[in-house]
Amino acid sequence: MTSGPALVSILRQGDVLVASVHTALDDSQMLRFQHDLVRQIGEHRARGVIIDVAALDVIDSFASRTLQSIADISRLRGAATVIVGIQPDVAFAMVRLGMGIGELPTALDLEEGMVHLARVRDRARR
Amino acid sequence: MTPSAASDEPQLEAQESADIAGLVPLLQRIVTARVGQHPAAEDIIQETLARVLAAEDRIEPGMLEPYAITTVRNVIASMWRKDDVAARNQHRMHDPSESVEAAELLVASEEQLAMTEALARLTDRERQVLLAHEVSGLATQVLADEVGSTAGAVAAQLKRTRARLRVEYVLALEGTEPPTDRCRAVLLALSSADRRRQRELDSARHLLECDVCARLSEPLLDRAPERPDEVRVPIGADPDIVSARQAARELAVRAGFVGADLTMLATAVSEVARNIVRFAESGEVSIELLARPRAGIRVIARDTGPGISDIDRALQDGFSTYDGLGLGLPGARRLMDEFEVASAPGKGTTVSMTKWFEKKG
Ligand SMILES: [Zn+2]
Repeated sequence: MTSGPALVSILRQGDVLVASVHTALDDSQMLRFQHDLVRQIGEHRARGVIIDVAALDVIDSFASRTLQSIADISRLRGAATVIVGIQPDVAFAMVRLGMGIGELPTALDLEEGMVHLARVRDRARR
Repeated sequence: MTPSAASDEPQLEAQESADIAGLVPLLQRIVTARVGQHPAAEDIIQETLARVLAAEDRIEPGMLEPYAITTVRNVIASMWRKDDVAARNQHRMHDPSESVEAAELLVASEEQLAMTEALARLTDRERQVLLAHEVSGLATQVLADEVGSTAGAVAAQLKRTRARLRVEYVLALEGTEPPTDRCRAVLLALSSADRRRQRELDSARHLLECDVCARLSEPLLDRAPERPDEVRVPIGADPDIVSARQAARELAVRAGFVGADLTMLATAVSEVARNIVRFAESGEVSIELLARPRAGIRVIARDTGPGISDIDRALQDGFSTYDGLGLGLPGARRLMDEFEVASAPGKGTTVSMTKWFEKKG
Protein backbone atom coordinates (compact mmCIF):
# COMPACT_ATOMS: atom_id res chain seq x y z
CA MET A 1 0.00 0.00 0.00
CA THR A 2 2.98 2.28 0.50
CA SER A 3 4.23 1.44 -2.96
CA GLY A 4 2.53 1.07 -6.31
CA PRO A 5 -0.09 3.31 -7.84
CA ALA A 6 -2.36 5.27 -5.53
CA LEU A 7 -5.59 3.48 -4.64
CA VAL A 8 -7.39 6.73 -4.05
CA SER A 9 -6.75 10.36 -4.94
CA ILE A 10 -8.13 13.39 -3.14
CA LEU A 11 -8.08 16.68 -5.02
CA ARG A 12 -9.19 20.14 -3.98
CA GLN A 13 -11.42 22.24 -6.13
CA GLY A 14 -12.19 25.47 -4.32
CA ASP A 15 -13.85 24.44 -1.07
CA VAL A 16 -14.87 21.06 -2.47
CA LEU A 17 -12.82 17.89 -2.13
CA VAL A 18 -13.05 15.39 -4.96
CA ALA A 19 -12.04 11.91 -3.86
CA SER A 20 -11.68 9.25 -6.52
CA VAL A 21 -11.34 5.58 -5.77
CA HIS A 22 -9.19 3.99 -8.45
CA THR A 23 -9.57 0.30 -7.72
CA ALA A 24 -11.28 -2.30 -5.56
CA LEU A 25 -10.49 -1.58 -1.92
CA ASP A 26 -10.34 -4.06 0.90
CA ASP A 27 -11.76 -3.20 4.32
CA SER A 28 -8.53 -1.82 5.77
CA GLN A 29 -7.94 0.29 2.69
CA MET A 30 -11.51 1.50 2.92
CA LEU A 31 -10.99 2.58 6.52
CA ARG A 32 -7.74 4.31 5.65
CA PHE A 33 -9.58 6.15 2.89
CA GLN A 34 -12.22 7.28 5.37
CA HIS A 35 -9.54 8.43 7.77
CA ASP A 36 -7.58 10.37 5.12
CA LEU A 37 -10.64 12.00 3.69
CA VAL A 38 -12.04 13.10 7.04
CA ARG A 39 -8.66 14.54 7.99
CA GLN A 40 -8.48 16.53 4.77
CA ILE A 41 -12.01 17.87 5.23
CA GLY A 42 -10.81 19.36 8.50
CA GLU A 43 -7.52 20.63 7.14
CA HIS A 44 -9.03 22.36 4.16
CA ARG A 45 -12.26 23.42 5.86
CA ALA A 46 -14.06 21.86 2.92
CA ARG A 47 -17.76 22.64 2.47
CA GLY A 48 -18.44 19.82 0.05
CA VAL A 49 -17.14 16.34 -0.68
CA ILE A 50 -17.60 14.32 -3.86
CA ILE A 51 -16.64 10.66 -3.73
CA ASP A 52 -16.27 8.97 -7.10
CA VAL A 53 -16.73 5.22 -6.66
CA ALA A 54 -17.04 4.23 -10.32
CA ALA A 55 -14.01 1.95 -9.99
CA LEU A 56 -15.38 -0.05 -7.06
CA ASP A 57 -16.21 -3.59 -8.18
CA VAL A 58 -18.79 -4.05 -5.47
CA ILE A 59 -20.22 -1.93 -2.70
CA ASP A 60 -20.94 -4.49 -0.05
CA SER A 61 -22.23 -3.91 3.46
CA PHE A 62 -18.86 -2.75 4.72
CA ALA A 63 -18.23 -0.33 1.88
CA SER A 64 -21.77 1.05 2.16
CA ARG A 65 -21.35 1.47 5.86
CA THR A 66 -18.05 3.26 5.40
CA LEU A 67 -19.43 5.62 2.78
CA GLN A 68 -22.34 6.33 5.11
CA SER A 69 -19.93 7.11 7.96
CA ILE A 70 -17.94 9.45 5.79
CA ALA A 71 -21.12 11.31 4.86
CA ASP A 72 -22.22 11.49 8.51
CA ILE A 73 -18.86 12.69 9.81
CA SER A 74 -18.54 15.27 7.03
CA ARG A 75 -21.95 16.67 7.85
CA LEU A 76 -20.93 17.07 11.48
CA ARG A 77 -17.89 18.99 10.27
CA GLY A 78 -20.01 21.22 8.06
CA ALA A 79 -19.43 19.57 4.70
CA ALA A 80 -22.07 18.04 2.44
CA THR A 81 -21.20 14.75 0.72
CA VAL A 82 -22.36 13.24 -2.53
CA ILE A 83 -21.40 9.85 -3.93
CA VAL A 84 -21.04 9.69 -7.70
CA GLY A 85 -20.38 6.95 -10.24
CA ILE A 86 -22.23 4.04 -8.64
CA GLN A 87 -22.61 1.60 -11.52
CA PRO A 88 -26.15 0.36 -12.20
CA ASP A 89 -25.13 -3.26 -11.44
CA VAL A 90 -23.59 -2.20 -8.19
CA ALA A 91 -26.64 -0.16 -7.21
CA PHE A 92 -28.88 -3.13 -7.97
CA ALA A 93 -26.79 -5.43 -5.80
CA MET A 94 -26.76 -2.88 -2.98
CA VAL A 95 -30.53 -2.78 -2.96
CA ARG A 96 -30.78 -6.58 -2.92
CA LEU A 97 -28.23 -6.74 -0.17
CA GLY A 98 -30.46 -4.48 1.88
CA MET A 99 -28.23 -1.44 1.94
CA GLY A 100 -30.68 1.20 0.88
CA ILE A 101 -28.81 3.74 -1.16
CA GLY A 102 -31.67 6.00 -0.19
CA GLU A 103 -29.67 7.12 2.82
CA LEU A 104 -26.67 8.05 0.73
CA PRO A 105 -26.82 11.23 -1.33
CA THR A 106 -25.88 10.15 -4.83
CA ALA A 107 -25.51 11.69 -8.25
CA LEU A 108 -24.76 10.28 -11.66
CA ASP A 109 -21.33 11.79 -12.25
CA LEU A 110 -18.93 14.49 -11.16
CA GLU A 111 -20.80 17.26 -12.92
CA GLU A 112 -24.13 16.34 -11.40
CA GLY A 113 -22.36 15.92 -8.09
CA MET A 114 -21.28 19.55 -8.26
CA VAL A 115 -24.81 20.64 -9.10
CA HIS A 116 -26.11 18.61 -6.17
CA LEU A 117 -23.67 20.25 -3.75
CA ALA A 118 -24.57 23.72 -5.00
CA ARG A 119 -28.25 23.00 -4.47
CA VAL A 120 -27.64 21.74 -0.92
CA ARG A 121 -25.75 24.92 -0.09
CA ASP A 122 -28.45 27.13 -1.54
CA ARG A 123 -30.98 25.40 0.61
CA ALA A 124 -28.77 25.84 3.69
CA ARG A 125 -28.43 29.58 3.02
CA ARG A 126 -32.16 30.13 2.85
CA MET B 1 -6.55 -14.93 -6.80
CA THR B 2 -4.50 -17.39 -4.89
CA PRO B 3 -5.75 -20.91 -5.42
CA SER B 4 -4.25 -23.15 -2.84
CA ALA B 5 -1.78 -25.58 -4.28
CA ALA B 6 -0.49 -28.49 -2.34
CA SER B 7 3.05 -29.45 -3.12
CA ASP B 8 4.39 -32.29 -1.07
CA GLU B 9 8.01 -31.48 -1.85
CA PRO B 10 8.48 -27.74 -2.08
CA GLN B 11 12.17 -28.00 -1.24
CA LEU B 12 12.78 -29.85 -4.47
CA GLU B 13 11.48 -27.13 -6.75
CA ALA B 14 14.74 -25.32 -7.39
CA GLN B 15 16.46 -28.61 -7.94
CA GLU B 16 13.88 -29.66 -10.50
CA SER B 17 14.14 -26.46 -12.51
CA ALA B 18 17.88 -26.99 -12.73
CA ASP B 19 17.17 -30.53 -13.92
CA ILE B 20 14.94 -29.22 -16.67
CA ALA B 21 17.68 -26.96 -18.01
CA GLY B 22 19.93 -30.00 -17.89
CA LEU B 23 17.56 -31.79 -20.29
CA VAL B 24 18.42 -29.50 -23.19
CA PRO B 25 21.53 -31.31 -24.52
CA LEU B 26 19.67 -34.62 -24.39
CA LEU B 27 16.72 -33.16 -26.28
CA GLN B 28 19.02 -31.61 -28.85
CA ARG B 29 20.56 -35.01 -29.55
CA ILE B 30 17.15 -36.62 -29.99
CA VAL B 31 15.78 -33.86 -32.20
CA THR B 32 18.85 -33.81 -34.40
CA ALA B 33 18.65 -37.56 -34.77
CA ARG B 34 15.00 -37.37 -35.82
CA VAL B 35 14.68 -34.24 -37.91
CA GLY B 36 18.28 -33.22 -38.62
CA GLN B 37 18.79 -29.50 -39.10
CA HIS B 38 15.09 -28.89 -39.64
CA PRO B 39 14.18 -25.21 -39.11
CA ALA B 40 11.62 -26.28 -36.52
CA ALA B 41 14.19 -28.11 -34.39
CA GLU B 42 14.54 -25.28 -31.91
CA ASP B 43 10.76 -24.90 -31.65
CA ILE B 44 10.41 -28.59 -30.93
CA ILE B 45 12.83 -28.32 -28.04
CA GLN B 46 11.10 -25.23 -26.65
CA GLU B 47 7.70 -26.85 -26.93
CA THR B 48 8.97 -29.96 -25.18
CA LEU B 49 10.50 -27.97 -22.34
CA ALA B 50 7.28 -26.04 -21.94
CA ARG B 51 5.27 -29.22 -21.64
CA VAL B 52 7.73 -30.78 -19.22
CA LEU B 53 7.65 -27.65 -17.10
CA ALA B 54 3.87 -27.69 -17.11
CA ALA B 55 3.82 -31.27 -15.87
CA GLU B 56 6.71 -30.86 -13.49
CA ASP B 57 4.76 -30.70 -10.29
CA ARG B 58 2.78 -33.77 -11.15
CA ILE B 59 5.65 -36.16 -11.72
CA GLU B 60 8.37 -37.38 -9.46
CA PRO B 61 11.81 -35.91 -10.13
CA GLY B 62 13.30 -39.19 -11.33
CA MET B 63 10.79 -39.27 -14.13
CA LEU B 64 11.67 -35.94 -15.71
CA GLU B 65 14.10 -37.42 -18.18
CA PRO B 66 11.96 -40.29 -19.46
CA TYR B 67 9.01 -37.94 -19.62
CA ALA B 68 11.02 -35.43 -21.63
CA ILE B 69 12.11 -38.17 -24.02
CA THR B 70 8.57 -39.38 -24.63
CA THR B 71 7.33 -35.82 -24.91
CA VAL B 72 9.85 -34.81 -27.53
CA ARG B 73 8.87 -37.84 -29.58
CA ASN B 74 5.23 -36.84 -29.31
CA VAL B 75 6.00 -33.27 -30.27
CA ILE B 76 7.85 -34.41 -33.36
CA ALA B 77 5.07 -36.78 -34.31
CA SER B 78 2.40 -34.14 -33.81
CA MET B 79 4.39 -31.65 -35.86
CA TRP B 80 3.71 -33.77 -38.91
CA ARG B 81 0.03 -33.89 -38.05
CA LYS B 82 -0.23 -30.24 -37.13
CA ASP B 83 -1.58 -28.83 -40.38
CA ASP B 84 -4.26 -31.40 -40.21
CA VAL B 85 -5.33 -30.46 -36.70
CA ALA B 86 -5.18 -26.75 -37.40
CA ALA B 87 -7.51 -27.20 -40.30
CA ARG B 88 -9.91 -29.20 -38.17
CA ASN B 89 -9.94 -26.65 -35.39
CA GLN B 90 -10.21 -23.61 -37.55
CA HIS B 91 -13.90 -23.12 -37.02
CA ARG B 92 -13.33 -23.04 -33.29
CA MET B 93 -10.74 -20.33 -33.42
CA HIS B 94 -12.28 -18.05 -35.95
CA ASP B 95 -15.89 -17.87 -34.95
CA PRO B 96 -16.05 -15.25 -32.24
CA SER B 97 -19.76 -15.75 -31.79
CA GLU B 98 -19.12 -19.20 -30.47
CA SER B 99 -18.24 -19.25 -26.82
CA VAL B 100 -15.40 -21.39 -25.58
CA GLU B 101 -17.91 -23.33 -23.55
CA ALA B 102 -19.90 -24.12 -26.65
CA ALA B 103 -16.78 -25.15 -28.50
CA GLU B 104 -15.98 -27.56 -25.74
CA LEU B 105 -19.37 -29.14 -26.11
CA LEU B 106 -18.65 -29.77 -29.75
CA VAL B 107 -16.72 -32.91 -28.98
CA ALA B 108 -16.27 -35.20 -31.91
CA SER B 109 -18.42 -38.29 -31.80
CA GLU B 110 -15.39 -40.51 -31.28
CA GLU B 111 -14.58 -38.60 -28.15
CA GLN B 112 -18.12 -39.10 -26.90
CA LEU B 113 -17.90 -42.80 -27.55
CA ALA B 114 -14.61 -42.96 -25.70
CA MET B 115 -16.17 -41.18 -22.74
CA THR B 116 -19.15 -43.52 -22.69
CA GLU B 117 -16.78 -46.45 -22.81
CA ALA B 118 -14.62 -44.99 -20.04
CA LEU B 119 -17.65 -44.38 -17.82
CA ALA B 120 -18.72 -47.98 -18.35
CA ARG B 121 -15.37 -49.17 -17.05
CA LEU B 122 -15.81 -47.49 -13.68
CA THR B 123 -17.40 -49.45 -10.87
CA ASP B 124 -21.09 -48.81 -10.21
CA ARG B 125 -20.22 -47.01 -7.02
CA GLU B 126 -17.65 -44.76 -8.67
CA ARG B 127 -19.98 -43.91 -11.51
CA GLN B 128 -22.86 -43.21 -9.16
CA VAL B 129 -20.94 -40.74 -7.01
CA LEU B 130 -19.30 -39.05 -9.98
CA LEU B 131 -22.56 -38.57 -11.82
CA ALA B 132 -24.39 -37.41 -8.71
CA HIS B 133 -21.76 -34.73 -8.29
CA GLU B 134 -21.06 -33.72 -11.89
CA VAL B 135 -24.45 -34.22 -13.44
CA SER B 136 -26.95 -33.76 -10.65
CA GLY B 137 -24.82 -31.09 -9.03
CA LEU B 138 -24.96 -32.57 -5.54
CA ALA B 139 -22.46 -31.02 -3.15
CA THR B 140 -19.80 -33.22 -1.61
CA GLN B 141 -21.36 -32.57 1.79
CA VAL B 142 -24.72 -33.87 0.63
CA LEU B 143 -23.12 -36.96 -0.84
CA ALA B 144 -21.15 -37.48 2.33
CA ASP B 145 -24.27 -37.26 4.48
CA GLU B 146 -25.97 -39.86 2.32
CA VAL B 147 -23.30 -42.46 2.88
CA GLY B 148 -22.32 -41.40 6.38
CA SER B 149 -18.92 -40.16 5.30
CA THR B 150 -17.17 -36.80 5.41
CA ALA B 151 -17.06 -34.17 2.68
CA GLY B 152 -13.28 -34.51 2.59
CA ALA B 153 -13.46 -38.25 2.01
CA VAL B 154 -16.01 -37.84 -0.75
CA ALA B 155 -13.88 -35.13 -2.40
CA ALA B 156 -10.86 -37.45 -2.29
CA GLN B 157 -12.90 -40.26 -3.77
CA LEU B 158 -14.14 -37.99 -6.55
CA LYS B 159 -10.58 -36.99 -7.30
CA ARG B 160 -9.51 -40.64 -7.60
CA THR B 161 -12.49 -41.41 -9.78
CA ARG B 162 -11.76 -38.51 -12.11
CA ALA B 163 -8.16 -39.69 -12.41
CA ARG B 164 -9.40 -43.21 -13.24
CA LEU B 165 -11.86 -41.84 -15.74
CA ARG B 166 -9.11 -39.92 -17.53
CA VAL B 167 -7.03 -43.09 -17.80
CA GLU B 168 -9.91 -45.13 -19.17
CA TYR B 169 -10.81 -42.30 -21.50
CA VAL B 170 -7.40 -42.03 -23.15
CA LEU B 171 -7.25 -45.82 -23.42
CA ALA B 172 -10.66 -45.95 -25.05
CA LEU B 173 -9.78 -43.08 -27.34
CA GLU B 174 -6.67 -44.92 -28.49
CA GLY B 175 -8.61 -48.13 -28.77
CA THR B 176 -5.86 -49.99 -26.98
CA GLU B 177 -5.60 -52.26 -24.02
CA PRO B 178 -2.42 -51.68 -22.04
CA PRO B 179 0.17 -54.42 -22.73
CA THR B 180 1.32 -55.09 -19.16
CA ASP B 181 -0.21 -55.57 -15.73
CA ARG B 182 1.67 -52.56 -14.49
CA CYS B 183 0.35 -50.12 -17.09
CA ARG B 184 -2.97 -49.13 -15.54
CA ALA B 185 -1.35 -48.52 -12.16
CA VAL B 186 1.34 -46.36 -13.73
CA LEU B 187 -1.18 -44.40 -15.79
CA LEU B 188 -3.35 -43.88 -12.74
CA ALA B 189 -0.39 -42.60 -10.72
CA LEU B 190 0.32 -40.13 -13.52
CA SER B 191 -3.29 -39.12 -13.93
CA SER B 192 -3.74 -38.47 -10.22
CA ALA B 193 -0.39 -36.68 -9.95
CA ASP B 194 0.48 -39.04 -7.12
CA ARG B 195 4.21 -38.71 -6.96
CA ARG B 196 4.76 -41.24 -4.19
CA ARG B 197 2.86 -43.88 -6.11
CA GLN B 198 4.81 -42.98 -9.26
CA ARG B 199 8.06 -43.68 -7.37
CA GLU B 200 6.77 -46.93 -5.86
CA LEU B 201 5.85 -48.19 -9.31
CA ASP B 202 9.13 -47.07 -10.84
CA SER B 203 7.08 -45.25 -13.44
CA ALA B 204 10.16 -43.63 -14.90
CA ARG B 205 11.52 -46.94 -16.10
CA HIS B 206 8.12 -48.11 -17.27
CA LEU B 207 7.66 -45.06 -19.50
CA LEU B 208 10.91 -45.84 -21.24
CA GLU B 209 10.01 -49.49 -21.74
CA CYS B 210 6.32 -49.25 -22.62
CA ASP B 211 5.34 -47.48 -25.82
CA VAL B 212 1.66 -47.36 -24.97
CA CYS B 213 2.17 -45.67 -21.62
CA ALA B 214 4.77 -43.34 -23.10
CA ARG B 215 2.22 -42.18 -25.65
CA LEU B 216 -0.64 -41.90 -23.17
CA SER B 217 1.41 -40.19 -20.49
CA GLU B 218 1.22 -36.92 -22.31
CA PRO B 219 -2.51 -36.37 -22.53
CA LEU B 220 -2.69 -37.47 -18.90
CA LEU B 221 -0.05 -35.05 -17.67
CA ASP B 222 -0.37 -32.17 -20.05
CA ARG B 223 -3.34 -30.62 -18.36
CA ALA B 224 -1.73 -27.36 -17.41
CA PRO B 225 -3.64 -25.04 -19.75
CA GLU B 226 -6.92 -26.54 -18.66
CA ARG B 227 -8.88 -23.95 -16.78
CA PRO B 228 -9.93 -25.19 -13.41
CA ASP B 229 -13.63 -25.31 -12.72
CA GLU B 230 -13.01 -24.88 -9.05
CA VAL B 231 -11.00 -22.26 -7.23
CA ARG B 232 -10.21 -22.26 -3.55
CA VAL B 233 -9.22 -19.05 -1.89
CA PRO B 234 -7.78 -19.27 1.61
CA ILE B 235 -9.24 -16.54 3.79
CA GLY B 236 -7.20 -15.04 6.59
CA ALA B 237 -7.20 -11.27 6.23
CA ASP B 238 -8.93 -8.33 4.58
CA PRO B 239 -7.26 -8.57 1.15
CA ASP B 240 -8.49 -12.16 0.85
CA ILE B 241 -12.06 -10.88 0.79
CA VAL B 242 -11.30 -8.99 -2.40
CA SER B 243 -9.41 -11.99 -3.85
CA ALA B 244 -12.36 -14.28 -3.17
CA ARG B 245 -14.93 -12.07 -4.82
CA GLN B 246 -12.69 -11.46 -7.82
CA ALA B 247 -12.07 -15.19 -8.21
CA ALA B 248 -15.82 -15.77 -8.13
CA ARG B 249 -16.38 -13.12 -10.73
CA GLU B 250 -13.78 -14.62 -13.06
CA LEU B 251 -15.29 -18.08 -12.85
CA ALA B 252 -18.80 -16.73 -13.22
CA VAL B 253 -17.92 -14.93 -16.44
CA ARG B 254 -17.08 -18.35 -17.84
CA ALA B 255 -20.43 -19.73 -16.76
CA GLY B 256 -22.09 -17.00 -18.80
CA PHE B 257 -22.95 -14.60 -16.00
CA VAL B 258 -23.16 -10.96 -16.99
CA GLY B 259 -24.06 -7.60 -15.49
CA ALA B 260 -25.95 -7.44 -12.24
CA ASP B 261 -25.77 -11.20 -11.69
CA LEU B 262 -21.98 -10.97 -11.61
CA THR B 263 -22.04 -8.10 -9.17
CA MET B 264 -24.63 -9.76 -6.93
CA LEU B 265 -22.50 -12.90 -6.79
CA ALA B 266 -19.32 -10.94 -6.06
CA THR B 267 -21.11 -8.99 -3.34
CA ALA B 268 -22.43 -12.15 -1.69
CA VAL B 269 -18.96 -13.71 -1.77
CA SER B 270 -17.57 -10.56 -0.21
CA GLU B 271 -20.04 -10.87 2.67
CA VAL B 272 -19.40 -14.53 3.47
CA ALA B 273 -15.63 -14.08 3.17
CA ARG B 274 -15.82 -11.16 5.57
CA ASN B 275 -17.70 -13.29 8.06
CA ILE B 276 -14.75 -15.66 8.08
CA VAL B 277 -12.23 -12.87 8.66
CA ARG B 278 -14.31 -11.28 11.42
CA PHE B 279 -15.56 -14.29 13.31
CA ALA B 280 -13.30 -17.19 12.58
CA GLU B 281 -10.07 -15.50 11.56
CA SER B 282 -9.32 -18.13 8.99
CA GLY B 283 -11.09 -20.41 6.60
CA GLU B 284 -11.62 -20.92 2.93
CA VAL B 285 -13.95 -19.91 0.17
CA SER B 286 -14.28 -22.42 -2.63
CA ILE B 287 -16.01 -21.49 -5.82
CA GLU B 288 -17.16 -24.12 -8.24
CA LEU B 289 -18.71 -23.98 -11.67
CA LEU B 290 -21.78 -26.14 -12.11
CA ALA B 291 -22.83 -27.44 -15.48
CA ARG B 292 -25.92 -29.35 -14.41
CA PRO B 293 -28.85 -29.15 -14.11
CA ARG B 294 -27.91 -25.84 -15.69
CA ALA B 295 -25.03 -23.42 -15.65
CA GLY B 296 -24.39 -21.95 -12.28
CA ILE B 297 -21.87 -21.32 -9.63
CA ARG B 298 -21.59 -22.65 -6.12
CA VAL B 299 -19.76 -20.91 -3.34
CA ILE B 300 -18.84 -22.66 -0.13
CA ALA B 301 -17.37 -20.68 2.74
CA ARG B 302 -15.92 -22.82 5.49
CA ASP B 303 -14.28 -21.89 8.72
CA THR B 304 -13.27 -23.51 11.94
CA GLY B 305 -14.35 -20.59 14.08
CA PRO B 306 -16.62 -20.54 17.11
CA GLY B 307 -19.72 -21.36 15.05
CA ILE B 308 -23.17 -19.86 15.25
CA SER B 309 -25.48 -21.06 17.99
CA ASP B 310 -28.69 -19.60 16.58
CA ILE B 311 -28.65 -19.71 12.81
CA ASP B 312 -32.22 -18.49 12.40
CA ARG B 313 -31.42 -15.37 14.34
CA ALA B 314 -28.17 -14.89 12.43
CA LEU B 315 -30.20 -14.87 9.24
CA GLN B 316 -32.43 -12.06 10.44
CA ASP B 317 -31.60 -8.56 9.36
CA GLY B 318 -29.86 -6.45 11.92
CA PHE B 319 -29.42 -9.42 14.24
CA SER B 320 -26.63 -7.46 15.82
CA THR B 321 -24.55 -4.39 15.22
CA TYR B 322 -22.28 -4.34 12.26
CA ASP B 323 -19.54 -5.74 14.40
CA GLY B 324 -21.81 -8.72 14.71
CA LEU B 325 -23.28 -10.57 11.79
CA GLY B 326 -25.30 -7.58 10.70
CA LEU B 327 -26.27 -7.67 7.08
CA GLY B 328 -23.64 -10.17 6.04
CA LEU B 329 -25.57 -13.45 5.98
CA PRO B 330 -29.13 -12.26 5.34
CA GLY B 331 -27.81 -9.91 2.66
CA ALA B 332 -25.85 -12.66 0.95
CA ARG B 333 -28.93 -14.87 1.06
CA ARG B 334 -30.95 -12.27 -0.82
CA LEU B 335 -28.27 -12.02 -3.48
CA MET B 336 -28.11 -15.75 -4.23
CA ASP B 337 -30.64 -18.32 -5.44
CA GLU B 338 -29.89 -20.99 -2.87
CA PHE B 339 -28.47 -20.49 0.55
CA GLU B 340 -27.71 -22.80 3.42
CA VAL B 341 -25.83 -22.45 6.67
CA ALA B 342 -24.56 -25.33 8.74
CA SER B 343 -22.93 -24.54 12.02
CA ALA B 344 -22.42 -25.86 15.48
CA PRO B 345 -20.89 -24.02 18.40
CA GLY B 346 -17.19 -24.80 18.57
CA LYS B 347 -17.24 -26.60 15.26
CA GLY B 348 -17.15 -23.80 12.75
CA THR B 349 -19.54 -22.67 10.09
CA THR B 350 -20.17 -23.69 6.50
CA VAL B 351 -22.16 -21.44 4.23
CA SER B 352 -23.18 -22.98 0.89
CA MET B 353 -24.78 -20.78 -1.68
CA THR B 354 -25.60 -21.18 -5.35
CA LYS B 355 -26.51 -18.84 -8.11
CA TRP B 356 -27.98 -20.17 -11.34
CA PHE B 357 -27.34 -18.58 -14.65
CA GLU B 358 -30.63 -17.47 -16.14
CA LYS B 359 -30.57 -17.32 -19.87
CA LYS B 360 -32.12 -14.02 -20.80
CA GLY B 361 -34.73 -13.81 -23.48
ZN1 LIG C 1 2.54 -49.58 -19.97
